[in-house]
Amino acid sequence: MSLHAPESWSFTVTIRDSIALRYSYNDLTRNKGVNLALIVILVFSAFLMATGSMVIERVLSSMDQFFDEARPPHFLQMHKGAYDRAELERFASEHPEIDAWLIEEMLGYDSAAIAWERSSTGEGGDLADSLIDNLFVTQNAEFDFLLDENGSIPRPDAGEVYVPVAYREQFGIEVGDLLRVQTAEGVQELRVEGFVRDSQMASSLSQSTRFLISEDDFAAMSAAGGAIPEIIVEYRLTDTSLVQDFQTAYESDDALPKNGESVPYQLLRIVNALSDGLVAAALMFASLLLVAIALLNARFVIRGTLEDEVRQIGAMKAIGLPNRTISGLYLAKYRAMTFLACVVGGLLAIAAAQMLTRTVQVDYGAAEVDLVSVLVPVLALAFVYVFVIAICRRVFGKIRRIEVVNALVHGSTLDDRQTARRAAREVKRVRRTSLAAFGGGNLNRRLALLDLRAEARQWVLIPIVMFLAAVLMTLPMNLLSTLSDPAFVTFMGSPESDLRADLEFSEDVDAVHGDLLAAMSADEGLENVRAFANVLYETEGEEGWEVLRVDVGDFSSAAMPFIEGGPPGTGEIALSVMNAEKYGLATGDEILVRLDGEPSNLTVSGVYQDITGGGLSAKMQGEVDAGAASYTVFADTAAGADTAELVAEYADAFPSAKVTPMREFMEQTLSYVTDAVRNAALLTFAFGLGVALVITSLFLKLRLTRDRQKMGMLSAVGFSTNELIAQVRGKTLAAVVVGTVLGSVFAATGGESVAGSLLALAGLGIVDLEFLPNPWLVYLAYPLLLISAGYLGAVFLTSRLRGADKSSWLRG
Amino acid sequence: MSNDDRITLECKELTKTYFSTEPPAKVLHGIDLAVRTGEFLVVMGASGSGKSTLLYSISGMDRPTTGSVLLEGRELTSLDDAEMSRVRLTRMGFIFQQAYFLSNLNIQDNILLPALKAAPGDRDAVVERVDALMERFGIGHVKRHGVTQVSGGQLQRASICRALAGRPAVLFADEPTGALNSSMSAEVMNALTDVHGDGATIVMVTHDPACAARAERVVFLRDGLLVDTREQGAWTAETAKQREDDLFSWLSSNGF
Ligand SMILES: Nc1ncnc2c1ncn2[C@@H]1O[C@H](COP(=O)(O)OP(=O)(O)OP(=O)(O)O)[C@@H](O)[C@H]1O
Ligand SMILES: [Mg+2]
Repeated sequence: MSLHAPESWSFTVTIRDSIALRYSYNDLTRNKGVNLALIVILVFSAFLMATGSMVIERVLSSMDQFFDEARPPHFLQMHKGAYDRAELERFASEHPEIDAWLIEEMLGYDSAAIAWERSSTGEGGDLADSLIDNLFVTQNAEFDFLLDENGSIPRPDAGEVYVPVAYREQFGIEVGDLLRVQTAEGVQELRVEGFVRDSQMASSLSQSTRFLISEDDFAAMSAAGGAIPEIIVEYRLTDTSLVQDFQTAYESDDALPKNGESVPYQLLRIVNALSDGLVAAALMFASLLLVAIALLNARFVIRGTLEDEVRQIGAMKAIGLPNRTISGLYLAKYRAMTFLACVVGGLLAIAAAQMLTRTVQVDYGAAEVDLVSVLVPVLALAFVYVFVIAICRRVFGKIRRIEVVNALVHGSTLDDRQTARRAAREVKRVRRTSLAAFGGGNLNRRLALLDLRAEARQWVLIPIVMFLAAVLMTLPMNLLSTLSDPAFVTFMGSPESDLRADLEFSEDVDAVHGDLLAAMSADEGLENVRAFANVLYETEGEEGWEVLRVDVGDFSSAAMPFIEGGPPGTGEIALSVMNAEKYGLATGDEILVRLDGEPSNLTVSGVYQDITGGGLSAKMQGEVDAGAASYTVFADTAAGADTAELVAEYADAFPSAKVTPMREFMEQTLSYVTDAVRNAALLTFAFGLGVALVITSLFLKLRLTRDRQKMGMLSAVGFSTNELIAQVRGKTLAAVVVGTVLGSVFAATGGESVAGSLLALAGLGIVDLEFLPNPWLVYLAYPLLLISAGYLGAVFLTSRLRGADKSSWLRG
Repeated sequence: MSNDDRITLECKELTKTYFSTEPPAKVLHGIDLAVRTGEFLVVMGASGSGKSTLLYSISGMDRPTTGSVLLEGRELTSLDDAEMSRVRLTRMGFIFQQAYFLSNLNIQDNILLPALKAAPGDRDAVVERVDALMERFGIGHVKRHGVTQVSGGQLQRASICRALAGRPAVLFADEPTGALNSSMSAEVMNALTDVHGDGATIVMVTHDPACAARAERVVFLRDGLLVDTREQGAWTAETAKQREDDLFSWLSSNGF
């Protein structure tokens, strides 16, 4: 306290603010270490809160702006092969809710058929590393525009091509480069005129991407052959709330083309927001944990301050200063610190958010920074500020209960009743222990344990903080390892495998499928070959019969997780989460389906999660080798065989098959998500360790100050400094270990449901997230690191006890 | 009381400078002092003259800047922290102005703590000795009490028990009555005199001439130097008043 001159007290009310400031300043400079630690934690939490809210705002507004300009379809249906245009026209005329519709024709090329070259430097290469479909299209007239980087609608001239922005990122293609596309007749040369963003296929989860060319080139390439023609039927509706009904109507209309994926608008948005949304959610979550940690600490520090300064407070009360004035005096410091932390955290967040939303800006273009962009993080920070101050105010509310006499005479913050209660507690505690009857053992350990028990109310801070820090570090990491785990595909509705061959609909698809399956089964380099057929069943929906996509194959041995029930046997069917919800079915219920007009009743054997193709799928036991919409063959590579070689081999032998190395495919399709989550995981990892270090240091700093006289006494009666240090370190280690272990256990059990329900909220067809953690990492390395960080704080602080003159401890 | 001329504790050219302040605080400027075995020595001097510093420096709590300290002929300044702690544990006892006790142990356990640490294998003997000490100083009935349940005088007598439980070669007391009222103060001084009667070597710092009158020798410290010494022989209750008056005038002559 700096209020030396009693005369100044009488002015306090009028010049309260300047005194409060002066007090804050003096205190801030005096207790540098403690205040610094508190500010660091506050900055951490403000930083994460601001970053999270900024990322969310940036993603949503970039996407809004982009969707406004690109006008993506509200419902789209992909299709390969023949279709009846007249039926589509009939359907359109029957549905007045259609605002506009179009059929987009596309030419699909294999990645290896596309090469680029920079004549100035001779650099170049092909796109073979890309595992997604490359579709060449012309610009649409009314909606679903491909936009260039300025947000305008480019219309390439003959000989020009606009390349997906993702390829600029992946391959370093630049404007002016040449693109060579291998057609059946020869090479079509195109000049890269610019890059386009794609509202339909921008998402990292999309399995195809679109190139923009002129009408003339499209006609020429189409005539030249070598491409797989494909169409997307796209609709804009008068109101997006009609999408669901519209989709049902479309799918229940037999005459319409529908052997490919169908995607409703909402799914487009969700999938687009998923990756960055996850990061933002992780950061906000982390920030909330940090705010909690900051508050626990503020509370701890404030209580310490009150005890240290109780005599001054008593004096101020004695001369009649109102409680509000006194607590305002102390609160000023916390106001200043929290404000400072919010400003610093906010500024740091600007840079971090910029970095984290870089891919968003590439894919969607940067939205303009408007009032809302500023307001959102400011409000988030204001929330942090108000919340922290409110809690501090509550703790300072204790000043009201401090009694002048107790404060001045005994230097105690407690009133008579509390003092009596504390004494009674002590007496009870003392009665339960006895060194006289103590059967040997280590005295230092015994003292440390007694301390922990007696000071449990203070020490509990450490386990709580370590618990939160462990959760903070483990959850994002578990999410990351789950996303990068090969078994994650099973959440996406397909079995785990090394290699996957897709046969889309074509005239001779049944025959090719037979050959392919035979070849793969006979191949010694492959094992565990499983074939699935995608058969378009029908089932009764609200508006009559509608399409139900069913994977038919052998699921008896498939190790895919079911959230309820199990794999289908004969006469049974398994449904994806979204289908089960759509039709209101659960395991054991009956469902009526029909194929080629022939109805049959099936029992639901189980429900699984699926996020592919809109999440609407079903699985049936059986074998189908004719009449399917498409086929998929999964296989594992035998020991010694090379997946990449096999992929190339089969792609050559079966040009109409799309052969994919699954692990690489998963890595690529999920790479944006995993990269983003990795950033968040690294950030929270660093923060978790930082918090562990800072908080244990802060806590011990205050604790050791408080324990000086006790240490002085123990030293006088013959305990060496090393023994005293060992006691403190032992106590810290115990507290740190307990918190960390509990936190890791919680993250492993309860944390899963927290993260799972976040994902379920996204409505993606994942309702039950099962973490696929890297157990060595999160249950061994992380806890050990966390414990080390906490222990390091103890080592760091206690080592300063060595070499101190012990009399200074006794002098208080 | 003792006419033994052997030396228990001796310091030579002892200086102490605290480097934690700016500029460093030179507190002791070269102290030569020998404490005879069984002697009751009192250190007096103005506030800030360095009395406590002297006490802490010769007891190894603080490291002297230069000079040597010999306890029973053994050089202390060259010992490391663990060895020095061992010496404090087995050969020294401390009594402070405030009675520092662990609030999560009862009075008896607090007293037992250092003795048990010194002789862990000897528990029964140690407990017996401590019980006897507590009875002797009139606190046998508060053995199981908590620290907050007993009076200041009782606590300070418990301090004496704790200091004696390890059978030290020398007892250090820094203003042991400084925080007590006069009747409690007398209780504690009686106890110390009693202990001295048994042959204990005592080095005590005090401001109170009435307490200092109990000692056989009083040394006067001014600004980190020993400036005067007064031998006053053994204390008896009958001569108490006279000794106090004599001591007072000696102190006055030293500007106390
Ligand atoms: N740890 C320390 N660091 C710096 N200076 C110190 C330290 N301890 C004591 N001093 C200074 O050394 C001087 C002597 O202090 P000391 O406590 O030995 O005096 P004292 O004679 O015991 O005083 P008192 O009668 O008030 O107890 C004082 O000026 C004090 O400020
Ligand atoms: Mg002193």
